[in-house]
Amino acid sequence: MSISVRNITKKFGRFTALKNVDLEIPDGQLVALLGPSGCGKTTLLRIIAGLEFADSGTIEFDGQDITDQVARERRVGFVFQHYALFRHLTVFENIAFGLRVRPRSARPSKDEIRAKVHELLRLIQLENQSGRYPSQLSGGQRQRVALARALAVQPKVLLLDEPFGALDAKVRMELRRWLRKLHDEVHITSVFVTHDQEEALEVSDRVAVMNQGRIEQFDSPDEVYDHPASPFVVDFLGSVNIFHGRIESADADSGTLEIGAPGHAGGAADSSVGYVRPHEMQLKRERNGDKSAVEATVTGIYKAGPVARVELRRQDTGESIFAEIPRAVLQELALKPGETVFAKPLAIRRFEGSQPS
Amino acid sequence: MRWLLTAAALLFLGLFLFVPLGVVFFTALQKGVVFYLQTFRDPDTIAAIRLTLLAAGIAVPLNMVFGVAAAWVIGKFEFWGKGILITLIDLPFSVSPVVSGLIYVLLFGLQGLLGPWLIAHGIRIIFAVPGIVLATIFVTFPFVARELLPMIQAQGNDEEEAALTLGASGWQTFCKVTLPNVKWALLYGVILCNARAMGEFGAVSVVSGHIRGLTDTVPLHIEILYNDYQFVAAFAVASLLALLALMTLVVKSIVEWKSGQQLKQQALGGEEENS
Repeated sequence: MSISVRNITKKFGRFTALKNVDLEIPDGQLVALLGPSGCGKTTLLRIIAGLEFADSGTIEFDGQDITDQVARERRVGFVFQHYALFRHLTVFENIAFGLRVRPRSARPSKDEIRAKVHELLRLIQLENQSGRYPSQLSGGQRQRVALARALAVQPKVLLLDEPFGALDAKVRMELRRWLRKLHDEVHITSVFVTHDQEEALEVSDRVAVMNQGRIEQFDSPDEVYDHPASPFVVDFLGSVNIFHGRIESADADSGTLEIGAPGHAGGAADSSVGYVRPHEMQLKRERNGDKSAVEATVTGIYKAGPVARVELRRQDTGESIFAEIPRAVLQELALKPGETVFAKPLAIRRFEGSQPS
Repeated sequence: MRWLLTAAALLFLGLFLFVPLGVVFFTALQKGVVFYLQTFRDPDTIAAIRLTLLAAGIAVPLNMVFGVAAAWVIGKFEFWGKGILITLIDLPFSVSPVVSGLIYVLLFGLQGLLGPWLIAHGIRIIFAVPGIVLATIFVTFPFVARELLPMIQAQGNDEEEAALTLGASGWQTFCKVTLPNVKWALLYGVILCNARAMGEFGAVSVVSGHIRGLTDTVPLHIEILYNDYQFVAAFAVASLLALLALMTLVVKSIVEWKSGQQLKQQALGGEEENS
């Protein structure tokens, strides 16, 4: 089931949560809505679910206009951040709920319901917990029950609102891999909301990066990471070094990149801002005539895991920059705080005259 | 120090609670069990008990429905005038029952706003059963809503929204999700509401007119007996209300114990799972 979001606008009082949002989600994909809190991602998800209604614009499922349908008519599976399991019902009854509330004519028989629930319990690996109450389960187990409950009614689309947001790091990681695996088996069109870029990039087929009620970019995870469409996207997808001022050429591969201090006698390129990821910085002891390297003082070295993080201060502008280099390289360089090095960006992204938001 | 405070509390409780309670039963049984039971053969007493049961029987279910509806609307939805509605629900708490009664007299009484019209159509409200029922409803209507409201507000909307996305209708959501989650609070509210409905004196006294055997409720009947110097009979009937109070306390304790037990069990279950 494909989902088409057309020109959706939603206001809460004076606050505009969504501004003319368009989004085409192809059938069978797992899509992440990624953005900082308050960017409108949850509102968009709730509008797709029919739990919230847009001020203007339309929602289509498979080309069929469902803008005016309420949640129960849309047949969506919705998974809430805080699980929203029915606390007075057992795991079994929670999963069976959607089947039991159907009108008598469409309701499966008791045996069918039991078979269906057990099938789902197997899927979420909680077969022997069916008699427990939600309060007796761990967070990860609860979220799996919530997922099974949503899948029980065979929804046309699956919507997840920060599904792993309330879980601790390890469970989060396991559960999101499990979700990806599940999606590969079930192939139901799914949309999940997250503010965690790692989660979005790891799990989804496509990522919609949202900011201030708009979609900044909608692409595959690789595309979003390697070719960000706006300063916001670069900034949001991990830490980044910002180079203000004269960048003669962003063509790092040809080695003609040149970075100068702002206000330097430069050309039209003066207003541009360059973005470089910390792992795309190279550190050298000598300049060797390389114009693209900037002179910087080492102000801190943080070693955690296989990659060392070096904090630097540019000697020309005083701006601090970060570089992530392999530990082996760090040992070879034998850097100490206070020493001078040359930092060379290996790849640089430019957005003419724009500032990161 | 601890002993002193405990002793003071017990003494206070004894003086103001147990001694009067003891006196009620002592006086009631002063002339023996036979006389005690005979009091309840008196037609006026039977009529008073019947009227009290009738008033409570109408007021409690009505206020249960009203209280659930009001708490649900206030707890789950945002709308203009919500604050006013909450204030209105609290009104019977803040207004003296006598004033509540007088409002009905001013509305429906002979010289009242609607009095002439009612008389013309042969409808009697004041100094008749309908007035008593109305006054009882008014005085007791905050109880259920007030018990439920904090509960419903604390639980939020998530479970209801989940039910809706699973295809449940509004009514199914209410019956299968909202109501089970607040059942203990609801029961407690109903118990309190019932106790007040049966024990209400002020408002009912104003609208009743004290017609023996017709418009006397139990509390009013006790007063009449007492004023007639029938102390033993008065206390015998009063012992009924005292028993009702004790029963309310017992049921209340059971309800609290039950819901506490449930919470504790859930908490324990959660801990086991986490460790």
